Order: sequence, then structure tokens, then C-alpha cells
Amino acid sequence: MVENLRFSAEGSDFVAKVGFADGRRFAPMVGALRRDLGSKGQMKIMQMAFMIVAVFFFFILVGLFFLSIQFKDVKGSAAQLQRDQAISSLSVIADMPELSYDFSEAFTLDEDKLRIMTGGFGDVYEEFWPVASVAAYKLWPVASELKPCPGVDCNYYELYDNGQSNTRTYSTYVSICKKVKESGFVYDKCEVGKLEVGVIIRDGE
Amino acid sequence: MGNKKGQQEIVGFVLIVVLVVVGLMVFLIISLRDSPEQEKSVEVGNMLDAIMKHTTECAVVYEPDYDSFEDLFKSCHQGDQCSNLGLSACDYLNESLRAVLEGMFATEATVGAYQVDFLVKDDEGEEGVLRILEGNCTGSVSSAQRSVVSYSNSLIIRMKVCGGSLS
Repeated sequence: MVENLRFSAEGSDFVAKVGFADGRRFAPMVGALRRDLGSKGQMKIMQMAFMIVAVFFFFILVGLFFLSIQFKDVKGSAAQLQRDQAISSLSVIADMPELSYDFSEAFTLDEDKLRIMTGGFGDVYEEFWPVASVAAYKLWPVASELKPCPGVDCNYYELYDNGQSNTRTYSTYVSICKKVKESGFVYDKCEVGKLEVGVIIRDGE
Repeated sequence: MGNKKGQQEIVGFVLIVVLVVVGLMVFLIISLRDSPEQEKSVEVGNMLDAIMKHTTECAVVYEPDYDSFEDLFKSCHQGDQCSNLGLSACDYLNESLRAVLEGMFATEATVGAYQVDFLVKDDEGEEGVLRILEGNCTGSVSSAQRSVVSYSNSLIIRMKVCGGSLS
């Protein structure tokens, strides 16, 4: 007896003749069907494997993109932080009683003290300064060049320089103030200036 | 049967697309939130402090009681006149602040542009009084701001500097 049997696998219908002859199963048709289903399954597994690999690579790329965005400016931020730290440490020098104009105000230098320190008095402090050089200059009124003090219309105060060449210079904006007497009144006159400090570069920096 | 399978595949595909879009949206929101337009800078803050303390030539009441820029911002807000110069405080502020900024930035080769805003803040929000803008910005922006109280208002002076480091 031979009869048609309908199989369904992976969305496809197969018609196979299955029968018995002399009590033995009619095997060749079923074997072909198995081979056909096997190759379809392998195809599906390969598709899935390719899909998994593609998704994996996609997420790797997205991750790399994300990381590159996140760490894009880490180096720049580190340099900026180092600069900010150096500038903050300049306040230690600006707030020293030898230079400070008003103890309640940070980054305010006394021009009279600067003048005294420039006139050779700063050398006495050679052991005192924790840096290689200290200088201050006025940015206002605008001058085409820096004129060292003491001198007429000078605007550049070199307070200390140990002559070391291997230094890195940091500077920040300060107010350079002095007491001025005018028409019998005394008032505070402040001008915009810069404090410049040379820091010794150690080996390895 | 084949039709149903196709529908399932389409639903799966749409799900994957939706998941990827949601992921990208989350990523975009996080990255935009974590990157502020400009960062506060100690350098710009010190610069602004030095400007605020700078003594001008404007005496509102008598000479030599000259205003600092901080006082001049208040005088401008209060509509005062520079009695010794015959100018309104706002006109003189505009003129002198531009000159001082030009002088300061002349020594800064790395600065491409700068902007100073003078705003009056009240209950209704911020109102711009003066803006000084010079140069074209192409690099990163550093900023700082200071507040001064005048009458019942808060005066905000905001400075933005564009370009490399200041010092």
C-alpha cells in the first residue's frame, strides 16, 4: 500500500509517498525529505549566526562611537584643570603680605609694594620665593611695549628672577592698586594687570 | 502559513529597529546633557574680577570719587551721569569697557573672540542692557559671571571668551 502523506516543515509543505511493500518501510523518499529539511535548517542556523555576528559588530561600533565621544576631550580637560590649579596657586603669591593691597580681596597687588620690591629689595627674598621668577605688569593704560620699573611711565615690575631657563610661565589677571591723592582727597586707583610666575620644570614633566 | 511567517519576520525587524532607535535616542540625550555649551573658567573669572575693580574716569558725585567698573554698572542701571565728563554712565561704560577689553585682549594671541553681556535680572527674567562682542568664535568657549545688587535688581555681568587658553 502506498499513500501520499503531507508534511509541513519551516513553512514549506512536502508531499511524500510513504508506503509499505512486503512489510518493509518505503524509506528512500523519507531520506530525501530529511536531507532537504537538514539543509534548510543549516541555512537558518547560518542566517542566525550571521545576524548575531552583525548585531555584535553593530553594538561594538556603537560602543566605540560612544567611548570616543565621551573621552574626546579628556586630554583637553586635564590640561585645563592643571592650568586652573596653577592659576589658583598663584593666589598664594598674590596674597602674600609683601604684595597684597587689600587682604579681603584676592588677586589685588599693591603698586607701591611692587615698586619697592623691584628696586633691588626683591633679591633679599631669594630664599623666600617658592618659584623661579615673579613679575607683574599693567595692561592699562595700553602701552606698545613693556617698560621695566623703576623708570618713567614704567609698567613692568620684575620682582624676582633666579635666572633659571628651564621654567614654565603661568600668569593670571590681577588688579594693581595704589593710593592716589587728588584735590585733597585720597582714593584707591586700581588698574588691570597681570601676575606672571615662572615655575621650575622638574625632570619627567 | 507562509504569510504568517512573513508577518512574524516583519514584526521582529520592526522591533529591532525600534530598539536601536530608542538606544540612539538615549545615547543622544545623555551625550547632549553631559556636554555643556561652555565651561566656567578660573582664568576668565580672574579677568572679570580685575575688570570690575578697575577704576574708571567717571565721577558721578564729585572728583576724585571715581567709579570702578562695578560701580559704573550700578550707575548705568540707576541712570546716573558722569558729572565730570558730561556723559551718561551707560555711554561712558560702553565706551570705556570696549577700550579696556581691547587693551587686555591685545596681549592674548590665542583668543579669537570675546563677549561681555550686562543684564538686569528681576522677577520677570533677564533683560540685556549692553553687549560687547568682538571677533569670530571657532574654538571652545570659557565663561564666567558676576552679580552686583542695585536697588532691588540683580545686575549680571557675563563674560565669554572663545579660543585657546588665556595665559
